[in-house]
Amino acid sequence: MDRKSIEDIVIESVCITYERDKSEISCETNIKEDLGGASILMVGLVSLIENELDVLVPLPVAASAKTIGELVDKVEGILKKG
Amino acid sequence: MSILDGIYKKAKLNPQKVAFPEADNWKMLQAAYETAKDGYITPILVGNSSLLRDLCIEKGYDCSIFRFVDIQDKEYKEKLINMYVSQEGRFLKEKALNRRMEDPLYFAMVMQAVEEADVTFAGINYTTGDVLMAGQMIIGLQQGVSTISSIGICDIPGYEGSEGSILAVGDSAVCTNPDAEQLANIAIEACDTVKALFDWEPRCAMVSYSTLGSGQGELAEKVVEAVKIANEKRPELAIDGEFQLDAAINPLVAQKKVLRESKVAGRANIIIWPDLNVGNIGVKLLQQFGHANAYGPLLLGFNKVICDCSRGAPVDEIKGNIVISSVRAAALTM
Repeated sequence: MDRKSIEDIVIESVCITYERDKSEISCETNIKEDLGGASILMVGLVSLIENELDVLVPLPVAASAKTIGELVDKVEGILKKG
Repeated sequence: MSILDGIYKKAKLNPQKVAFPEADNWKMLQAAYETAKDGYITPILVGNSSLLRDLCIEKGYDCSIFRFVDIQDKEYKEKLINMYVSQEGRFLKEKALNRRMEDPLYFAMVMQAVEEADVTFAGINYTTGDVLMAGQMIIGLQQGVSTISSIGICDIPGYEGSEGSILAVGDSAVCTNPDAEQLANIAIEACDTVKALFDWEPRCAMVSYSTLGSGQGELAEKVVEAVKIANEKRPELAIDGEFQLDAAINPLVAQKKVLRESKVAGRANIIIWPDLNVGNIGVKLLQQFGHANAYGPLLLGFNKVICDCSRGAPVDEIKGNIVISSVRAAALTM
């Protein structure tokens, strides 16, 4: 899967979890500062990404991403490792 | 009578199904066996069944006391997954859940989520972070709760409080800096939990460096706001503050400092710290200077009872926490 497709899925999942419009979210979006929310939302986000990409994303790894772009990098890395 | 005697008695009346995803650890296995043998719980060992059976035989334990659940049992796993994903509000779907359930901790929690178990008991090898994350992902939080927290039960030699030497305190372990709403939720859940365990009438003091406005500042204001929210949410509970610790637990100090009616001042049996700095230092002070035994942490906020014991816990402490968890779970079914 190419990076753009992963990015689309991650952004789509962010929009669902944090109830945001797609136009508000980009790779530069800062997860903590721009999205905020309780940690349970990160759990929801990781679950959606796992559902869509059939991959296990460890929560601490996802939680360490500062921006959406960084989260995409991490998911891409996990997918490449297989 | 020790702090746990009453709880052990209660557990025996309604033994709960406790899932152990770390039964390959000898301390956990011994604690599971002994609490089950004495009739306090019905244990479920989750993992590699043949390995777990061998361990039991090696230890001389009667295997018939346990239910063994093998995480490789495809048929059972599929059944659990189907039951889980059909529940409303679940995040994970089949494939992702199937993958997560390769880990016994997640497998055990899915069993609990679909009522095949009443408690998940872990923490001897898994970190607190592992247990909390799995709990959030699989079990979920109670409605209106946005953070996990905890309380501990302290038995303080020489302390003569309103419940003798026993005092419940929270949160000393999990929630770092709760806002007023979260602090209110911690107080409410602490009351419910303590009532379930001890049948006490909870009297919960939310503590600060200020007693009813004697000190100013945003740190005290957070506590004032939390008391207000808690009273609005659950007016039937005796939750009061903001009080200094001495005004909360000492009737003579309360007489001087709390110049209005209060069911709590001077006779609190639950203390809610304003944040984790205070809470963690507070419980360490009780342990180091007061020589208190502290049981817990009892995790609050989840939809069901999950226990994360200390990784260094001795078998007796693990047994105590297993029985406490079982009694908490039994209270949820009533």
